[in-house]
Amino acid sequence: MSSIVNTQAAGRRFAVAETLRSALAILVLVVFSLIVLVPLLFMFGSSFMPASEVMNMPYRWIPQQWKWQNYVQALAGNDGNWIYLRNILNSLVVSLTIATTTVLISASVGYGLAKFRFKGRNAVFMAIMATMMIPFETVMVPLYLIVVKLGMQDTYWGLIIPFLTNAFGVFLMRQYLITFPSEMLDAARIDGCSEVRIFTSIVLKNSGPAAATLAILSFRQQWDNLLWPLLVAQREEMKTIPAYIVKFAAEKNADEGAMMAVAAIASIPVFVLFFTLSKYFLGGSAVYSAGKE
Amino acid sequence: MSDNPIPEDNVLKAGRKRPSLEAGRNRWGWFFVAPGILFFSIFSFYPILNAFWTSFFNKKLLSLKAPKFIGLLNYEKVLGSADFWNSIRATLVFAVGAFIPLFVLSFLFAVLIASRKRFQRSFQMALYSPAVLSSAVAALIWLLMFDPRGLANQAVNLIANTPGTDYKWLADATMVQVSTMIVYVWKYVGYFTILFVTGIAKIPQSVNEAALIDGAGPVQRLFRITLPLLRPTTVLVSVMILIQCLKTFSTQYLFTQRGAPLGPINVLTLNIYNTALRDGNMGKASVMSVLLFIAMLLLSWLQLRVSRSGEDDL
Repeated sequence: MSSIVNTQAAGRRFAVAETLRSALAILVLVVFSLIVLVPLLFMFGSSFMPASEVMNMPYRWIPQQWKWQNYVQALAGNDGNWIYLRNILNSLVVSLTIATTTVLISASVGYGLAKFRFKGRNAVFMAIMATMMIPFETVMVPLYLIVVKLGMQDTYWGLIIPFLTNAFGVFLMRQYLITFPSEMLDAARIDGCSEVRIFTSIVLKNSGPAAATLAILSFRQQWDNLLWPLLVAQREEMKTIPAYIVKFAAEKNADEGAMMAVAAIASIPVFVLFFTLSKYFLGGSAVYSAGKE
Repeated sequence: MSDNPIPEDNVLKAGRKRPSLEAGRNRWGWFFVAPGILFFSIFSFYPILNAFWTSFFNKKLLSLKAPKFIGLLNYEKVLGSADFWNSIRATLVFAVGAFIPLFVLSFLFAVLIASRKRFQRSFQMALYSPAVLSSAVAALIWLLMFDPRGLANQAVNLIANTPGTDYKWLADATMVQVSTMIVYVWKYVGYFTILFVTGIAKIPQSVNEAALIDGAGPVQRLFRITLPLLRPTTVLVSVMILIQCLKTFSTQYLFTQRGAPLGPINVLTLNIYNTALRDGNMGKASVMSVLLFIAMLLLSWLQLRVSRSGEDDL
C-alpha cells in the first residue's frame, strides 16, 4: 500500500520536475529567438525612420515620424541615378540563371552517372566530387584571369559562368536519380523515344523535389555572393545587390535610415521565398550537410 | 548489365545482340556527362592548377610584360612578411572565437528544440532567419548597431549598468574582432542548429526510452546517449563551421570599407582580395590561395579520418 503511494508521489514529483524543465527550455528558446530576431526588427523598423531616430539614444522601436522617403532614396542612390533598380535586376538575372543552369546541368550529369554504365564512370564521378574540396576563394584569382582573357568583365556572362553548375548539385541529382525506376526509361525506349527526349520529358519532369531544393540553394548562394561580383563587375550598372550595399554603406554622407531601406529591399525577396518554401530551406540545409558526409 | 540478369536460355536464343545494344546505349552516358566534364575541367581543375603555377611567377595584374618564373621567391616573400602572419593570426582568432560559441549555442538550441514536441518548426525558423539574409545585409545591420550611439552600446550599458560607456565596437583593435565574431555567430547559429536537430532526430527513440525506464536523468541521457550517438553529426558540423569560418570575408570587408581598422580583422580571404585587386600582385595572391587550399584540404582529411574511425567503433 505504502509503496503504491510512494510511486505515485514519485510520479508526481517527476511530473513537476518535467514541467519545470520544459518551461525552462521554452523560456531559453524564446529569449534566444527574440535576441536573434532583434537585428531584423531593427532593420525593418529603422528603414522607416529619419537618421536622427535610428541613432537616437535610447532607441525607440516604433518610428515616431514615418519616413517613407528612405525607400525612394535607397532606390535612387545618393547621386540620384536609380542604379539600385538595375543592380536588383542584375541580381535576379544572375541568381535565376544560375539556379536554372545548375539544375539542368546537374540533372544531365547526374543522370549520366546514375543510369548509364560506361567505362570511366567512377573516375568521372570521383573527379567531380573532388572539386568540392576546392574552396572558391583559392581559385577566384585564376578564374578572374580567365574571365579577363575572355573579355567577360562587366558582363552577365562573367558573373554567371563560374557557377553554371557545382559538384554538390551533381551529387544531389545523382543520388536522387539512382532510385529512379529504370523500367520507366526502358519502356520509353521500347516505344521509340530518343535518349534526349527521355531525359527532358521523363527524367527532368520527375525530379521535382530534388530540383527545387537545388534551385533554392543555388539561388540563395548567388543572391549572397559578394566576392565574385566585386572582382568582375567594376562598372556601376553591372554590380549586384551585395556590391551595391557595400558601395552605399561606404559613402560618407549615407543616411542611416536609407541604409536600412537598402538592406530591407535586398532581404524582401529571400524572406518571401523563406516563408513560402521554408521546408526546402530547412530540409535543404540538412541535405547539404548530408552531401558533405 | 549485372543488375538485370537475363535467363540462360534467353541469352542463347536472343541474347547475342543484347550486349552491343547495351554498350551502344551506354555511350549516351558520355553525352549526358560531357557538359560536366567540360565545366569542371575549365572552372575547377584548370584554376587550381593555375593557382599553383602562378604562385611561382612574378605575375602582375595590369602588366603587359610576360610574367617571369621566380621559383619559390613568392613563397619566401609571403612567409617572411609580417602582414601574412597577421592574416593567419586574424583568421585563426576569428575561427576559434566564432567556432566555440557557434558550436555550443547551436548544440544547446538543438537539444532544447528536440526535447519539445510542439513549436519545433517555429523555433527553427526564428533561429534560422538571419541565415537567409545576405552577408552584406547582415554586416550592414550590425554596422549601425555597433555605432557609438547604436543599440549594442545601449544594450550592454543597460545590462552591465555602465551608463554612457562607448565600447568602441568598430574602432578598438580587440573589440572589432569580437564584433565580426558576433555578426557571424548571429547569422549562422540557426543553420548549425538545424544540422544538429536533424542529427538528433536520427537517434532511435527506443534507446532514449530504454534509458528513461532504467532511470537515467536528462543530464545522464544527454552525456551518455545523445552525445556519443551524435558523434558523426558533431564531427561533420565542427568541420563545416571551421571551413566556413576560414572563408569569412563580407563582414570584414564592409567594416573596413566603413573605416574600421584593417589590421586586427585582415583575414586571409580579405588579404588575398586586396593583394590581387588593390596591389595587382597575382603571384603573392596565388601563394596565399594555395596555402588556404592546403589548410582546408587538411581539415577535410581530418574530418574523413575522424568520421571513419568513428565507424569502426560502432
